[in-house]
Amino acid sequence: MTRAALFVAVIVLAWLVWDTGADPVRLARGVPWILDFIRRMMPPDLRVLPAALLGALKTVEIALLGTAVAAVMALPLGFLSARNVAPGPVFYPARAVLNFFRSVDTLVYALVFVAAVGLGPFPGVLAVVAYTTTSLAKLYSEAVEGIDPGPVDAITATGATRLQILRFGVMPQILPLFLSYVLYRLESNIRAATVLGFVGAGGIGFYLQTYLRMIDYPAASTVLLVTVAMVMVVDAISSRLRDRLV
Amino acid sequence: MIEVAGLRVVLPPATVALHGIDLVVRQGEFVVVLGRSGAGKTTFLRSLNRLVEPTAGTVRVAGRAITGAGATELRAVRRQIGMVFQQFNLVRRASVLENVLAGRLGYVPSVASVLGRFPQTDLELARTCLAQVGLVHLADRRADTLSGGEQQRVAIARALAQRPAVILADEPTASLDPALTSSIMDILKTINREHGLTLVVSQHQLETALAYATRIVGFRQGRVAFDGPPAAVTPAVVQAIYGDGDGR
Repeated sequence: MTRAALFVAVIVLAWLVWDTGADPVRLARGVPWILDFIRRMMPPDLRVLPAALLGALKTVEIALLGTAVAAVMALPLGFLSARNVAPGPVFYPARAVLNFFRSVDTLVYALVFVAAVGLGPFPGVLAVVAYTTTSLAKLYSEAVEGIDPGPVDAITATGATRLQILRFGVMPQILPLFLSYVLYRLESNIRAATVLGFVGAGGIGFYLQTYLRMIDYPAASTVLLVTVAMVMVVDAISSRLRDRLV
Repeated sequence: MIEVAGLRVVLPPATVALHGIDLVVRQGEFVVVLGRSGAGKTTFLRSLNRLVEPTAGTVRVAGRAITGAGATELRAVRRQIGMVFQQFNLVRRASVLENVLAGRLGYVPSVASVLGRFPQTDLELARTCLAQVGLVHLADRRADTLSGGEQQRVAIARALAQRPAVILADEPTASLDPALTSSIMDILKTINREHGLTLVVSQHQLETALAYATRIVGFRQGRVAFDGPPAAVTPAVVQAIYGDGDGR
């Protein structure tokens, strides 16, 4: 059984190598070009640093606002698509909606929203909201499904109302998880938002694309360095916050 | 104090857990429910406060019908019934005091409690109940930092904070080190003696049951197989409750 699976995997991989034209020799021949590209990026042109920093700030703003709005909008969807909360007729359609919208990436949403509302950070925010709402809802619903029914029973047995059961039996179990999922999404959204500028949806990606098009590699490298620094700083802050939640 | 008549419970999809139980528990009794696992002990206890919905029959607690009660009346009757669980069922991330305060939820206004506001008298009562189980010094600790025995004592304090007429305890010592069994059972006995609280406790340990109960009720396959004082539990009675080991 496992040997047959291994055989099939090897066949499939071989076909993938052939069909994608993967060729180590071609890669080896390209190495000098990569080195040349890096050489031409040096030294970074620090004159564009203020512009890059402004772009980075805009990217962080897009990710923050988009994630915050999505975190709230995902709440009802998350509960409606939790098997142990929602009845079947609600659960199945809700899950289907989630899976449908989650299968489209933020960048694709950005293309749609740029066409709809024009260039700038706003379509970027909308794109982040569209993707993050459904992906957070999925994570929320899994947290709700993983709840320990014991404390809920105990609170119910005291004669508590539905609202009190939710507040004292359910929320303490899921709130830390929800917050940690939101922070995790924020980290990925920062990364996703760096390329939103490529399609005109604002932020640091706009500068990167512009300088690359102008063949101004030293300027592009400054933008890249700022991007890396921005992602690392947000990751560090976010993971420290997440550690404190558990 | 507890009047059960014709209590029948069918669990989905079609398991008959209880076949028409008739039982009257008088004020101040310490009833221990015995039986093999699957005999219906847990279902019986949970149908007394309708955590399990009875299929047929009536349950009255402290003179009020809990079966057929609407939402408001159901909560009012539940306040009268403290419950202690095998797995303690504390809110792990909340403090010990907050867990005990949860016992007051049936009495306080819903919205105020959701915002975390409890009357001063309830805070004092919660501390009194913690003192009763000897844990007032741990009031501010997070519940999940306590040992199992301590958590179960907090759970008892939560039940006491309801100022209940009855306490139901579902295998309260089964998750604990055997050495802790008597400490938990002693606390329950004290509550029973000093406050005249009616107790219904399920137990799988025969010796413990006989040592603490004023009355033994033995369940077998969803029916009452024995009902009487501990002194009347003979080897034949044990055989009637537990069978001869093949489960039939």
